[in-house]
Amino acid sequence: MVTPYIVHFLVFVLGSLLASLYFSFSKYDILNPPQWTGLDNYTKLLNEPVFWKALGNTVYFTVLFVPLQTFFALVLAVALNQKLRALKLFRLAHFLPVISSWTVIMYVSDAVFNPRFGFANSLLQAIGLSPQKWLQDEHLVIPLLVLIAVWKGIGYIMVIYLAGLQNVPSEVYEAAEIDGAGTLQKFGRITVPLISSTTFLVLIMSTISTFQAFEQIYVMTGGAMDASSAGGPNKASLVLMIYLYQEGFSFLRMGYASAIAWVLFVILFLLTVVQMTLQKKWVHYE
Amino acid sequence: MGRLGRKRKSIGAIVILTFMLVVTACSGGQTEGQTQNQPKDTTGKPVELRLGYYSSAQTDAKMQELIAKFQEKHPNITIKTESSPYNQFFQKLDTQIAAESAPDLWLSDGVLVPKYAERGVLKDLTEWIERDLQKDDYYGLDFNKDANGKYWGVPQGIQIAVLYYNKDMFDEAKVEYPTEDWTWDDLKAAAEKLTKDSNGVYASDAAFDKNKVTQYGLTFFSITEGWMTVLKSYGGGVLDETLTKSIINTPENKQAMEWIVDGMQRELLTTPSDLKSFQSNMAPFPSKAAAMRIGIYARTIDANAADLNYDVTLLPKGPDGKRFSPVIANSWVINKKAEGAKGEAAWEWVKYWATEDEAQKEWAALGEAVPVKKSVANSEQFLSGKPDHKQAFLDSFESAGTLDVNAVWSEWVGKFGDSINRAFEGEISVDEALTQADQDVQQVLDEFYK
Repeated sequence: MVTPYIVHFLVFVLGSLLASLYFSFSKYDILNPPQWTGLDNYTKLLNEPVFWKALGNTVYFTVLFVPLQTFFALVLAVALNQKLRALKLFRLAHFLPVISSWTVIMYVSDAVFNPRFGFANSLLQAIGLSPQKWLQDEHLVIPLLVLIAVWKGIGYIMVIYLAGLQNVPSEVYEAAEIDGAGTLQKFGRITVPLISSTTFLVLIMSTISTFQAFEQIYVMTGGAMDASSAGGPNKASLVLMIYLYQEGFSFLRMGYASAIAWVLFVILFLLTVVQMTLQKKWVHYE
Repeated sequence: MGRLGRKRKSIGAIVILTFMLVVTACSGGQTEGQTQNQPKDTTGKPVELRLGYYSSAQTDAKMQELIAKFQEKHPNITIKTESSPYNQFFQKLDTQIAAESAPDLWLSDGVLVPKYAERGVLKDLTEWIERDLQKDDYYGLDFNKDANGKYWGVPQGIQIAVLYYNKDMFDEAKVEYPTEDWTWDDLKAAAEKLTKDSNGVYASDAAFDKNKVTQYGLTFFSITEGWMTVLKSYGGGVLDETLTKSIINTPENKQAMEWIVDGMQRELLTTPSDLKSFQSNMAPFPSKAAAMRIGIYARTIDANAADLNYDVTLLPKGPDGKRFSPVIANSWVINKKAEGAKGEAAWEWVKYWATEDEAQKEWAALGEAVPVKKSVANSEQFLSGKPDHKQAFLDSFESAGTLDVNAVWSEWVGKFGDSINRAFEGEISVDEALTQADQDVQQVLDEFYK
């Protein structure tokens, strides 16, 4: 059983890793063999305003998305951890968007946020406000993408939290009730600390996946219609993965794209190290 | 002992094989010498050819049919096809080239030919074209000629743009149909009478609400069916004749851009964000949300499917009477690595496609492209059917030109769009957009060509 694993590891993991590391130090247009150029890609990257813009957008997206999704997923999980009628139905309803594809979500949200035909603008106009351009507005595009992503992803995190909540012993709550603790106190003093190891897992997982966000933004900013418009308007939603994709696959600069990937890896690695260090301060293990 | 014996035997086999190879190589050299003038002689040895193309379900069936017919005529050539939808096809192709497993020949989007040619992937077809094709018999051969006069492909079908107009909308607004003498200003004057808001008020009326347009005068999209046509007929353009220098920041381009921006700000023309609302850049004309469009030949398919009452005419002229009809010649290209018999066989297929009336007519019947062979394009079979004035596509060849296509075309088009789309939306001035675009495009060019 070891040999097949080693072969798999060498070919599909280590091999591809080393190849992309090598490409990141070379000029590689896919069609011709790579040429070694040393640190060129990295110096170009650090001096490229578009890279910094993409990094800024990625951080902005993550900083909005991760806390918002984590908080509401926990609230939802606590709410759906009670004895309710048709409990499974509620849980299912929140999980449905998770298993829908981004293309489907794009059409659904277009019905709401289309600047010309959408429901949101009709509503705004009905109450006397001016219509918005939503996803085509430089300032609204990321907040709106974040809201939609939270709506789609929350069910998944909720399920992880529900599993975590099973491990919180009910005696603790009973003891607190006897001492006269209210709902908010129980949530803040018992649930949150006792479930902190789950929160830690959720934070690391969603930070990493948000830094790698691609499909949602590509589909919802019109990449399927026209690859060059992904990340628009005016690069306001251009995140690192879309930048990487355009450079590597649309413009055949695979060396440069590999450099972006390695920089992304270093950032994620450092972020995870920071989160691991900080966890000692707030994560409780039994 | 047994091992050694086997080794000896294999050495013997190698010697014999080498000997045979030398002999056949010599005789091969002789037959090749003979075939120089009679390419038909390649019918001798069996050749297996890998042919790649992008397709839809409909075109795929027709392509298979034509390949079967070709194989009947050339029993020694076996064609294995590799087809997929457009985007996947080119993504796969790039990785296949990297892995040296690309097809021997493939169908290339016209705008992608230099991408592969200038990166050394394609066979130079100049000699074969000079030898086997009467250039005057075909449309568009020169659209694949590079700055050094070399040919890298043979057109498979031609896309050339004309002005589409919806007759019902013109009748309803009581506007005369477009003529071949129209200038872009004439078009705008008509567009004003054809752009309508949700209350049914036209843009020529003071009560018109430009935030509630339901019918645009002209739908306008990106390069081919948008700005390049206007820029070039105003005497401007994007690249110089070497295709390595930006000529974006000129008074001609500024004048053309101002014409476009004014039209868009008054909502007579669709802005890029208007098009996004339709979820398709192609939708406004066939879905009756625009009275006119700049459209390549393939757009007749959607217009016919929507059963529009429409016709086509030549594109309008610029202020100095210059007309520009953008062309994309989707072409057969041959892999540089397809050598000897494979290369010859690939060329046979290209020749069959371009020269045989049967192939040309069958493909034309799909209504996808203007046939490459002039005699077929000018036949009743092609010219009949909707739209009535199909002749306009052929007449447009007189003012035809390419889209300044070079090895980094997709990238500079993207960079150019980044700036001018902001001017189209009214976010920055035309001057700002042209200065920025000039800088960005030149940077892309320098990176590849310097």
